[in-house]
Formats: sequence, C-alpha cells, structure tokens
Amino acid sequence: MRVFIFLITVFCATEAQDDLLDLIDDGSSSPSIPVEATFKATRIVNAQSIELSRPQTLEFMILHRFGSMQNGFYDLFGMDEAAIRFDLKYGLSDRLSFGLGRSSLNKTYDIFTKIKIVKQTRGSNPFPVSLVLFSKIEIETIIKGIDIADRLTYDLQVLMARKFNRSFSLQIMPTLIHRNLVDTLDDPNDLLSCGFGGRIKMTNRTSFNFDTFLPISKRQESFKQSWGIGVDIDTGGHVFQLMLTNAQGSFESQYIEQASGGIQNFNLFLGFNITRVFTL
Amino acid sequence: MMFKILFIIFMTPLIAKDIYFTRSGAISFFSSTPIEDIKANNEQATCVLDMETGSVSFRIPIRGFIFKNSLMQEHFNENYLESDQFPYASFKGQVNDWGEINLSKDYQSIEIKGMMNIHGVSQKITEVGRISLRDGRVIGNSIFKIKVADYGIEIPKLVRENIAKVMEINIDLDLKKK
Repeated sequence: MRVFIFLITVFCATEAQDDLLDLIDDGSSSPSIPVEATFKATRIVNAQSIELSRPQTLEFMILHRFGSMQNGFYDLFGMDEAAIRFDLKYGLSDRLSFGLGRSSLNKTYDIFTKIKIVKQTRGSNPFPVSLVLFSKIEIETIIKGIDIADRLTYDLQVLMARKFNRSFSLQIMPTLIHRNLVDTLDDPNDLLSCGFGGRIKMTNRTSFNFDTFLPISKRQESFKQSWGIGVDIDTGGHVFQLMLTNAQGSFESQYIEQASGGIQNFNLFLGFNITRVFTL
Repeated sequence: MMFKILFIIFMTPLIAKDIYFTRSGAISFFSSTPIEDIKANNEQATCVLDMETGSVSFRIPIRGFIFKNSLMQEHFNENYLESDQFPYASFKGQVNDWGEINLSKDYQSIEIKGMMNIHGVSQKITEVGRISLRDGRVIGNSIFKIKVADYGIEIPKLVRENIAKVMEINIDLDLKKK
C-alpha cells in the first residue's frame, strides 16, 4: 500500500511540474492571421502581383527593359537601347493603392488602382487565397492630333494568389484588355487572357519568379505568348528584380498582347525593376 | 482514511497552485545605431508566475511585434525572426531566492535565470528586474540586452550599419491572480 501511495505522489509531483503556461490554457484558439509577403514586390516579373503599396507609403518604381539581345556584342546584348517606365504609387490603406506612370514605349501615360478584396489568412478561420482587383487606363501620346478617346486602353485584372508555404506562391490572373482604337477591322477591341505567375524563394532575400499570359479569345497570327523569368533581390529599403522576357513594354497592353521576341536568335530582352519605398 | 489521503494527493496539483498571469504583457525592443533607431512593441505576451516556487514562463508571439514602418515589420518576420517557422519566443525560468522575497507595494530587485528561446535557439540567461504587489496584482518590469547573433539571427552586410548587434529589451507586466 505504501508503495502505491508513493507512486501516486511521484506521479502527481511530475504532473505539477508541467509547463506553467498549460495552467492558464483556456483552450481558446488563435485568431486568424493574414498571410504576408506572398510576393516581394508589386510586380512578379512583368505581371502585377497581389501586393499593394503599404499604407502611408510612397513607392517609386523604375522598370527598365533593354533592347533585343539578338545582335549580340554589336550592341552589347541590347544594352544600347532601352524602354523605360517610371511609376509612383501610394498606399491609402492596406486595401487600396493607386498610382500613375509613364512609359517611353509609345509615350504612354497611365493611372491605375489596386483594391484588395480578400486576404489569405491562416489560423482558426483560414481563407485559402488573396483576391485583388487591378485596373488601369493607358493613354498613348505618340501620335499627335487624334481624339483623346482613340488614345485610351483599359486593363482589368482579377489577381488570385495563394502562398502555399514560406517559399512557394502562385498567382492566377484572368485579364481583360479593351483598346478603343485598333489597327484593322479584323482586330478585336476586347482581348481576354489568363496569366499565371509564381515565386520560389531561394534564400531569405532572393527568389526566382516567373509569369506568362495565355490568350483566351482569338488573336492575330503574329501574336506571341508573353513570358518572363526573373530574380528578386531584397536589400532592405529596395527590391531589385532582374529579368529575361520576350516582351519589351512594361505596361499591360504591351507585355500581355505585344510580346515580340522569341527564343530563336536570342530575340529576348534583359531588364530590371527597382522599387524604392518612402514612408511618409 | 485511505480515501482521504488519496483524494488530497490527487487534488494537490490542482488546488494548491497559486498562479498569477497575464495575456497582454508589454514587450518592446529597441535597436539604436548612428544611422537609425528601430523600435517595435508587442502587447500580446503571455506570462505566468507561480507564487509558491517563483518559477516563471513567457510566451511571446513574434507576429505581435508592431513596427512604425510596415516594411520593416515584414522584413522582421520574413527575413530575421522567420516567424513562419518560429512563431513564438519563450522563456522558462526561476526567480532566484524566491523564498526570501516578501512581495510588497515597493519595488524589489530580483534576479531571474532560465532558458530563453528565440528563433529556435535556446540560451541560458540571467537578468535582473523589479517586482511589486499592488492591489492584488503583481507588477514586474525589466530592461536587459540580448545579442542578436546569439540566437542565429543574421544581419546582412548591407544593413549592418542600420541594425544594432545588441537589442535593448523592455518588459512591463501586470499579472492578475488566476
């Protein structure tokens, strides 16, 4: 009997030495936590990502694409030429950002907004994906003396992304591009496509990215499917994105619909994006 | 008689615990360099103090640290503390000479030693703090320093001038009886 009591005492004593935190555990589950950093920048390679400029921050982005690499050393793989785009965006809240930009290609101005509809969350009440609405109006100014309405192109995208784990994110982007003015009667004004993009983290501060757009509605024979692969390098205040792509323009109607390059003859474009963030 | 003894032995761990705790302990850290000061606050720390033995336990959710600059907050979680993999920092320890401390309204200095776990790395630490008992609540605070490198947190060369190698940690607790 004494042995029995002794054993029970020992048993109870070990029980009492359990973690103190367990003693106040009331079984309440953790609240749902929004998933952060699905992508590192507001672009994947060419494509828009579900990331918005952060609240009360001004983000300046330089998107630089060199010329075609096909001439080799003659123009140092296209480095003699460039198509450049600047944009400036502001995060009004964690769900809304807007900005404006200008691209040297076709002297195109644009204004755009991103609206975050749903955030991916985990925890007790998880939601599997983030949903963002992206819209942009492009104003081409390379031709003088035409009506303003004929200069406009509208882009509308639904960006749906999921961060599967800390090193892999995937995004699907149904896209509608509406051009007010088209070259010939055979060209449709509305162009539907669906884009895919992803990010694979290599180290804490670098990742491999890719994106591509598949046409859904009918295209001209000259149409080429656009794609881009790149590397993100996060240095603290800046994000550098280096890329290789078959589209030189870095705004939607160009990189989705006007890709001109191909792997033959190295008719591809090197480029980089730099993002600088200013906290206001 | 036998039954009584058994009953008491069984119930002892449940009834005899004199526990004080909080779920909203304030913990902040401060990094100061000539280039910039970085500060983050967390008000979601859980802390439990066993009044009988003087043992303490902390659990601090890393995502609870709020920065003024949200980009810094993302980097803190993604690149430095890797809160996906290591969601909590914890401390399990013991107040030294607990038996000789008589809690009163006035602050008394105490020394706590134990195991600190941050970023999946455990380190034995001994730090000092102050403790008092006011209106049935245990008030405690402490300021101490930790070396970032001790916990396997790498600071890349490029920002070495911006982030201090030693962080100042500030803890403020208001524990109530369970």
